[in-house]
Amino acid sequence: MDFNLSKEEILIQKMARDYAEQAILPVADQIEKDNRVPDDIMAGLAELDLFGMTVPEEFGGAGAGYVPYVLAMEQIARVSSGPAMIISAHNLGLGALVNFGTDEQKAKFVPQAAKGEHIASFAFTEPGTGSDPKQLTTSAVRGGDHFVLNGTKRFITNASYKGPLVLFAIEAESGQPTAFVVEKHCPGYSVSKPWSKLGWHGGDLVDIYLKDVQVPVENVLGKIGDGYPILQYGIAFGKIGMNSVALGTTLAAFELAVKYAKEKTHRGQPIAKFQAIQMKVAEIAGIYESSRWLAYRLGFLANNTKNYREFAKEAALAKWVIARNAQEATRISMDVHGSYGLMEDYEITRIYRDAAMGPQVEGVIHMQQVILAGDILR
Amino acid sequence: MAGTLIFSENPALVLELATAALEMDSGPVYALVINNGPQAEKLSNHGLAVLSVDEPGMSSFDTAGCAQAVAQTAGQKDLSMVLLSSDRRGKELAGRVAEAMHAGCLTDVKGFSLEGGQLAFTRNSLGGATLATQAIKTPAQVVAVSPRAFAPIAPTATGSIEAVKINVPASAVKLVETRSKAGDTVDLQAAERLVVVGQGVEDQSDLALVEQVAQALKAEIGCSKPVATDKKWYPEERIIGLSGKICKPALALILGVSGQVQFTVGVREAQVIVSVNNDENAFMNKIADYVLVADLKEALPELVRQLG
Amino acid sequence: MNIVVAMKEIPDIQQIRIRNRKPVTDDVPRTLGNIDKNALEAAVQIKEKTDSQVIVVGVGSSEVEDTFKEALAAGGDEARLVVWDGELESSQSAQLLAALITKIDSVGLILFGEGSGDNYSSQVGSRVAQILGLPQVGYVNRIEIEGSTARVTRSLEDCEQDLEVALPAVIMVSSDINTARIPSVTQILKAGKKPKEVLAANELGVAIPAAQVETISNLAPEMERRQISVKTISDLVKALADEGFGGGR
Ligand SMILES: Cc1cc2nc3c(=O)[nH]c(=O)nc-3n(C[C@H](O)[C@H](O)[C@H](O)COP(=O)(O)OP(=O)(O)OC[C@H]3O[C@@H](n4cnc5c(N)ncnc54)[C@H](O)[C@@H]3O)c2cc1C
Ligand SMILES: Cc1cc2nc3c(=O)[nH]c(=O)nc-3n(C[C@H](O)[C@H](O)[C@H](O)COP(=O)(O)OP(=O)(O)OC[C@H]3O[C@@H](n4cnc5c(N)ncnc54)[C@H](O)[C@@H]3O)c2cc1C
Repeated sequence: MDFNLSKEEILIQKMARDYAEQAILPVADQIEKDNRVPDDIMAGLAELDLFGMTVPEEFGGAGAGYVPYVLAMEQIARVSSGPAMIISAHNLGLGALVNFGTDEQKAKFVPQAAKGEHIASFAFTEPGTGSDPKQLTTSAVRGGDHFVLNGTKRFITNASYKGPLVLFAIEAESGQPTAFVVEKHCPGYSVSKPWSKLGWHGGDLVDIYLKDVQVPVENVLGKIGDGYPILQYGIAFGKIGMNSVALGTTLAAFELAVKYAKEKTHRGQPIAKFQAIQMKVAEIAGIYESSRWLAYRLGFLANNTKNYREFAKEAALAKWVIARNAQEATRISMDVHGSYGLMEDYEITRIYRDAAMGPQVEGVIHMQQVILAGDILR
Repeated sequence: MAGTLIFSENPALVLELATAALEMDSGPVYALVINNGPQAEKLSNHGLAVLSVDEPGMSSFDTAGCAQAVAQTAGQKDLSMVLLSSDRRGKELAGRVAEAMHAGCLTDVKGFSLEGGQLAFTRNSLGGATLATQAIKTPAQVVAVSPRAFAPIAPTATGSIEAVKINVPASAVKLVETRSKAGDTVDLQAAERLVVVGQGVEDQSDLALVEQVAQALKAEIGCSKPVATDKKWYPEERIIGLSGKICKPALALILGVSGQVQFTVGVREAQVIVSVNNDENAFMNKIADYVLVADLKEALPELVRQLG
Repeated sequence: MNIVVAMKEIPDIQQIRIRNRKPVTDDVPRTLGNIDKNALEAAVQIKEKTDSQVIVVGVGSSEVEDTFKEALAAGGDEARLVVWDGELESSQSAQLLAALITKIDSVGLILFGEGSGDNYSSQVGSRVAQILGLPQVGYVNRIEIEGSTARVTRSLEDCEQDLEVALPAVIMVSSDINTARIPSVTQILKAGKKPKEVLAANELGVAIPAAQVETISNLAPEMERRQISVKTISDLVKALADEGFGGGR
């Protein structure tokens, strides 16, 4: 068992931290206010290959695998969650393509996305369901060499950007969930105004309206009527990104608590001298470490897993623990800050809002626990 | 130790080096002047023993040639200590002179003491986080002394000029053009009082108020690095700190500087430091004599009013 | 032509802690000096315009090969390194680097940063130039290569000098010459595969002189400041007046 990061992993971590601090931090407040990641930041992330880290080199990616991906995403989310949310959802869509696409599909959709010229999405959620594929209503009806798609998808990340979208609909003939690759902004595709969300500002979140969208038959991902495993395992891989975002939030909560404990004085001494504060700092430190190793390990498993089912279980476990830990850590960090921490002038406010997001996204915590318990008690 | 050779292109710094040399008390002191008759004249009138090189083939901007001139003169006169100014020209020269003389060398030297009979020099290390005390073990020694570390020497009537002949190979460097730096002739290191602008001065329009404060206090204006390099509100000559000027003013009024060590090395030897910062915990405040926790947006106009 | 960039392996000074006035460098990760990264960036920019190779050279700890991956990721084509355990003083570094550089063919430019990130003594470039008998220019914030000459700008306290220097030459850049690029994931992953030669000091065939400088102590300075808190501007103005710094035009 080797817990050391390789020099390459350390350099990728440092690269992401440098970029986050040099380029993203100066516009972090602007991202919070505008709820939009500036184009030059998107271009900068692309130039550093951060959109194609997990994609094999033969499809235009960096072939770095998932551990460096976790390391880099943590550092970006530490400074601003919006760009990290975009990369995470992009990888969710792209990962499904890489894992389940045919060579032709991969050759067609992956390279531009791996370079960040296109931004991928993954659309499951609908106004009527966020956790239960049986309740999907978006329909796909065969018409010659294509399918015609109709329906509404809710809360879809990156759906405003150009690029491939892995979309789940009920295929009429089989009556079963089926995955399709849709090119966003094709005829019949439109999106809502962006949602204003509690946290993760800057991450693009809209509803998608599909009106007689024609998708060629060769864009079916996997088999017709067999979308469920793609959904299940696609989302399992997506959780690596979600975990990294929550981990970056936890790291920020820790650093902010330490900084404030040393800065803020009470009767002439920094509050760090008080045992009550020391215990809080120790608590967050422990939380961060436990999240960290779970998140890194899930990245390692993603590189090495042969068994998707096993991996999905691990992902469900890591997801609920890390998402909950982020909330716990920010709450304690808020306690260290006291009332000042409630003022928008303090960064902990952003971190606190960001931490609220993880538990409710890409499978709520309860769903993760249902998946995990189902496997344990099988 | 046979004696000391001092050299700087900047005559004001030569006078400081002369003080340092006398205080080190290591034999006779000579000042080298290269291709600059008027300067030789001026320094000898001030009381220095000048060694004057007149070698039309060489030029002051060529470090290789200058290093030869310094090393050969020291050799001819059997001077084992060379003191250079630790400005950019002097620092560039120091390593080359030292290598030519097989000498150990220290730059950015701020002072010296006697440790067990040998000279020990002090200089900043680790980005200014520490103060190192170091000694040179070789018989010949090259030391570049920080500007303002020593007071200029008082004039005496004992000056002289002696011509020296040296042998310098043709220069591989040609001067195309010299430009003065954008009309900024301020000498921050000579200023008795400094007002320092940090990123806590948030609007460029407030610089007019800073100007008025500086006028009222008869102070020069310096700034932190990002104010010059990122915001470009002032020329880089005004940067204070590790990559800028190391100053020792009587008063440093610091406006909105966080106090990273790279900055504080530039003011920490001020006699009185005042920090105005809206962050009561700013590191700058911990090394200040007076701390005013205030938003500069409000503090500046009021300061102008009350000082005026 | 080959462009040589000399870079210094240093402890990451952001991570050095001071305990009992002494710097604690144990377990501090190794990195490369910031201004050295500007020198590398300058070399890479020249390479992008001319047909040249960028060779990074350095002397460092047993980890030096790993440390220099950062330089290879940021645009170096090849690394030539010497392992040296223990302290190194400027004159010794200069001898080792000069010996390394002598082994490289058709060297057109040798770039250094104006000062290292830890010691900032600014000697090594000048010493190497002297050992190799090459012309040098320091504090350079612009380099343009025209055939066998470099047109450079030296930025001094009061003026800028545009100079022409015959190649090969040693040039020491200042940090404002450029913004060093952040290497991409792909560049980082490829860095380890770039050619590297790592030598022990005794394989260079030069006698390394004894250290010429002895460090007697290296301590954080003691700062005794009064830290008097003044509440209002009028209190401040009064305090200034009491100290002898009255206002008034
Ligand atoms: C920022 C953001 C980004 C998103 N990005 C995407 C995206 O890119 N693609 C996409 O498809 N979706 C996306 N979503 C949608 C998100 O994944 C879903 O909203 C989420 O999975 C939860 O679905 P829901 O809101 O319908 O909750 P529901 O599934 O309705 O759950 C509501 C509550 O009921 C409970 N519950 C539900 N089912 C069970 C059960 N079986 N057992 C026990 N308890 C249960 C849960 O605990 C939960 O508290 C995004 C959402 C957000 C906020
Ligand atoms: C190799 C190296 C060399 C360097 N050399 C130098 C150098 O020579 N000189 C130098 O200065 N820096 C140097 N730096 C940079 C240095 O580390 C700091 O980043 C820099 O000094 C910060 O400048 P600042 O204090 O103006 O800005 P900040 O760190 O941004 O601080 C601004 C301060 O203003 C306060 N503030 C903000 N708004 C207000 C307001 N409205 N009212 C009152 N106060 C306010 C803040 O609380 C904060 O304390 C160097 C860095 C490196 C790596």
